[in-house]
Parts: sequence; structure tokens; C-alpha cells
Amino acid sequence: MNACSHLWTMADVRSGYLVVEGCYHCGARTSFFSDEAGVPVDEYKEGAHRWEYLSSAQAVSFNLRCTTCGRTVDLSDMAGLKLSTCEDPECGVGRLNREQGRGGSVYVALCVDSRHEGGRCVSDEGVAALSEYFNQRRRRKRIVVVPCKDCNDIDLCRGIVIADTGLTEF
Amino acid sequence: MMISEVVERTGLKALNAADDADVAGVYISDMVSDIITAAQSGCILVTLQTHKSMIAAANLVDAGMVVIAHGKEPPADVVELADKAGIALFSTPDDTWSYALKLVDLGMR
Repeated sequence: MNACSHLWTMADVRSGYLVVEGCYHCGARTSFFSDEAGVPVDEYKEGAHRWEYLSSAQAVSFNLRCTTCGRTVDLSDMAGLKLSTCEDPECGVGRLNREQGRGGSVYVALCVDSRHEGGRCVSDEGVAALSEYFNQRRRRKRIVVVPCKDCNDIDLCRGIVIADTGLTEF
Repeated sequence: MMISEVVERTGLKALNAADDADVAGVYISDMVSDIITAAQSGCILVTLQTHKSMIAAANLVDAGMVVIAHGKEPPADVVELADKAGIALFSTPDDTWSYALKLVDLGMR
């Protein structure tokens, strides 16, 4: 049976907020997508964590669906995308970015929990589908999509997050 | 239609030097979260947004060219980012609606 050469389209597009929370107990940070009418700002306990609201930005959540075979790739583990500007030779993403040269771009798929507990990040399937989707009709040089776990340190890996910051600040 | 023709016929100011290329379709938005879900490859992206995230979004969706309305011009680091990505960046003194009408007059749909 021939494998499908997927032709992806965005599906299940939802508008909402990318919310960043911090634990004032251990300093950990997490982010999630919320499609509630208002940004959730309540503090709450989760195990040993004491989460508090840090920031938010208007964002979108989506899955990818193949228009040929109907397969859907769930991207609920992705919080957003970041254009990498990292050139740190100690960082895998930085090295990859330097290799692209003029016109080349590396986009980092940011997962919902930068602690990567249990090795979790945006799925390999999700990263592959994102790469296929954004390259399938592309006229310019291909982009490369990588998961954020490839960053040496996600807090230090430089880039431009694609989010509408500042529009929903309290 | 080629970028150069759009520039000449709609009176755009070039903000960087970029290769001429074919463009088709128009998308108008000021929100990057909207641009990445709806703008099509090769489109003329019309916006008021001058933040670097707009270039990141335009590059991701492979926009053909970016036109910033109301005579706004982005900071140098935004132009530099557009240069690196190979995105043609322009400014128009028109408001978004007036510029959209010019594109309609050109036959853009």
C-alpha cells in the first residue's frame, strides 16, 4: 500500500491566549493555550508547585489535517512557534541556524512545558507535519522546524516568538 | 503580477532591496496569530504591524511581499530581519483600506 504524500491544511483552528505561568516556589515556568473568554489569572496549587500568572499573548491553536487521506496530527502539545535567531555554537539550534545561511530559517516548535519532564516535547510527528505544511507550497528557501527540546537552554535560546504580545496586557 | 509592477502602480516606497518575484493574492492583518493561519504563500501582506514578529510570521507563511500602511516604517532591526529572510518590504502613505482599493483596481482578488 502506497503511503500518502500528505497535503496538509490547518484544522481545528481556535483563537485564544498563550498563557505563561511561573511557580514562585521553585521558579519553574509553564505555558498553555487557553480559549476561555478571558485570560485565566488565578493562582493555584499543583503538587509542590504554586503557579501564578506571568504574561499572556493572543495566539492560535491548530491541528494539521491531510486533505488527501484525512489523517489528523494533533498539535495540542505545541504552545507556539519561534523564529530562531540563535547563533550560539554550544546550542544545537544555534548551529543549525548558522548552517542555513541567507534566506534560510529555523523555527522552533515550543511545547507547553519547557521543563520537558519525562522527555516530553512537541511530538516528532507534529514537528514533521509542521515542516511539511509550511514547506509544501513554499517559493523561498525551505524552513526547518525543530522541537524546543533541541535548544541548549530554552530560556537563553534567542528568537522571535510569533505571538501578539502587548495586546492583552492588564 | 510582479512585485515591481505592484510597486510602480501603487506608489510604494521600498524599505529594503529584494528580488523581484511574482505575487498573487492579498492578505490584510495586524495580528501575527492571524497571519500564520490565513495568509497564503506568495501573497501581498498589508499590515500596520512593524514588530519583528510580523517578519517572522510573513516568512513562515512565505508571503510574497509586505506593505506597511499609514506611512509607518519599521526599525532597522526589523528591516535587517526582512533582508535575511529575503522578504521585500515596502511602505505606503495610504491607510489600509485605501491601499486595498488600489490593489483591487490592479485586479488583485
